[in-house]
Amino acid sequence: MEQTRKERIDRGLKVRTGGIYAISSGREIMYLVGPRLLLIVGILLVPLFLEFAPYWKRVVNIMCVYALLALSFDFLANYVGLVCLGGAFFVGVGGYLSAIFNVYLSIPMYLSIPLATVTGAALCTVLLLPCLPLRGVYFAIVTLMYPLLFTRVIEALDVLGGTNGITGLDGFPNQYVEQYAIIVVMLLSLFAMRRFVSQDIGLVIRGVKDNDQAVRASGINVTSIKALSVFIAALMGCFGGAYIAHLYMWAGISLFALDFSIIPIASVVIGGGGTLVGAVIGSFILVPLSESLRFFGTLRIVIYCAALTGFIVFKSEGLMVYLQRKYHQFERWVKV
Amino acid sequence: MFEARELMVFYENMLALNNVSLECEAGRIVGVFGSNSAGKSTLMYVLSGIMLDIKNKEEMRGGERISVYGRIFLNGEDVTALKPHQMAKRGIILCPERRRIFAESSVLENLKIGAYLSTRSQTRENIDYVLDLFPRLKDHLKRQGGFLSGGEQQMLAIGRALMANPQILLLDEPLLGLSPAYQEIVINGTKKIRDAKGISVIITEQYARPVFPIIDYAYILENGSSVLAGTREELIDNPDVKSAYFGV
Repeated sequence: MEQTRKERIDRGLKVRTGGIYAISSGREIMYLVGPRLLLIVGILLVPLFLEFAPYWKRVVNIMCVYALLALSFDFLANYVGLVCLGGAFFVGVGGYLSAIFNVYLSIPMYLSIPLATVTGAALCTVLLLPCLPLRGVYFAIVTLMYPLLFTRVIEALDVLGGTNGITGLDGFPNQYVEQYAIIVVMLLSLFAMRRFVSQDIGLVIRGVKDNDQAVRASGINVTSIKALSVFIAALMGCFGGAYIAHLYMWAGISLFALDFSIIPIASVVIGGGGTLVGAVIGSFILVPLSESLRFFGTLRIVIYCAALTGFIVFKSEGLMVYLQRKYHQFERWVKV
Repeated sequence: MFEARELMVFYENMLALNNVSLECEAGRIVGVFGSNSAGKSTLMYVLSGIMLDIKNKEEMRGGERISVYGRIFLNGEDVTALKPHQMAKRGIILCPERRRIFAESSVLENLKIGAYLSTRSQTRENIDYVLDLFPRLKDHLKRQGGFLSGGEQQMLAIGRALMANPQILLLDEPLLGLSPAYQEIVINGTKKIRDAKGISVIITEQYARPVFPIIDYAYILENGSSVLAGTREELIDNPDVKSAYFGV
């Protein structure tokens, strides 16, 4: 009996561009740069296209914040091995700190956002430091509890504006600054993270995920590596928070909302874990989808959940993993 | 009679098993010998059906595509497409490489988990049998599996496999990392299992010498192909086998 099987082979173009010949022809350069350029130019052009739909501009801003959070979740979960549900925690800390700097200390916006990003990330790292030896679900639970804890503290003690939140933050001077600030930071973080995980330190980080005992045995301090990773992830989250606070000119308890923890995870599932780009693409799909479904009222959640479940059942590998494979490889039938 | 015909396994484009056929008559011990990367574990995964599970998982996460060809027969019935749990129900039990015991369950619990398919009285009988076979386990019944020594863990793994009333027992590298003394206990135990219960055993190993005395028939795998097969007497005088798998 004649048996055949489908064979996957790297495209010749991919093999050629793997080496130094990558710069020998325009086609190969396009093969390498094309997808990246498509993403970058595409996103940079989006605000211009949405000139006549101001509402959707807001959506794009929020979408980019979610993309940052998804990026930080993907990095922590699939490279460091820490399942972190702390998106809301990072956003809340970043938002409140930026409000404190801006309103209480009268630091101008272009300083308060970076300052809140760095100090917020440091604060988050210090608070998460005791939980770093925990793995898997334990770390997830601790990171999930922190936002709840902060919400209650703010409510109960009536500090930082209590339930009303802190109002009167500086807004962005104009729409373009507002949009391109988040888009550029998001793109920079994406490509910086991709570079970061392929450096030496990235190898160590992946080693920590695989087998932390072996990393320890190689003379590397695992806790400090994990702390560094949490700091980096928190940087992205806190920037998102500080940005949202200035976007709405208000920092309140809703910055600790669970959405900031959950939607990034869904984005990573859709986009494909461990690809980093997948996380971004996932939130580009999910957030607008959830917005456009507002039309359906309460049924929105049902449709949203059905779409998510469909993705998990039929494309559990994730969109980006699938696309990358199709881009780099082709298939053909061969005789066994 | 357990029979595998023309097994071929591809991990993506890499050929892991190339046209391997294997037969094991009831109540015999069959050895499969080969160095690392010869395809021994792949063969065991295919025979026990676990390969289908591995294949599914890889597909789910978009990893390598695993293609499996060939047929497996148990007493004339085609069991190729059966899921691992259905294979186990028909009495094909794998004792996996590196033991894979449940580290956080006690020895007794480990045995009871293995007995999922047997009735209560059978379970009691089997536990007694396993403890008779490997008396060392008696001292540690309440101990967590993860705290046993390597040799005891191996005994436990074989014991756990026995609890499911196997017809065909697949032992994947049972001597991995054991001292010669423990190797002897495990090998003698295997022989006793066959003699007492008439269970057929397929045993894989890299270093053939400790296993050779108990086997009836052996296959030599090299890079995924079965290069040599024969009874113990035939193989023991073969100079190639001697140099490669006896270290002579």
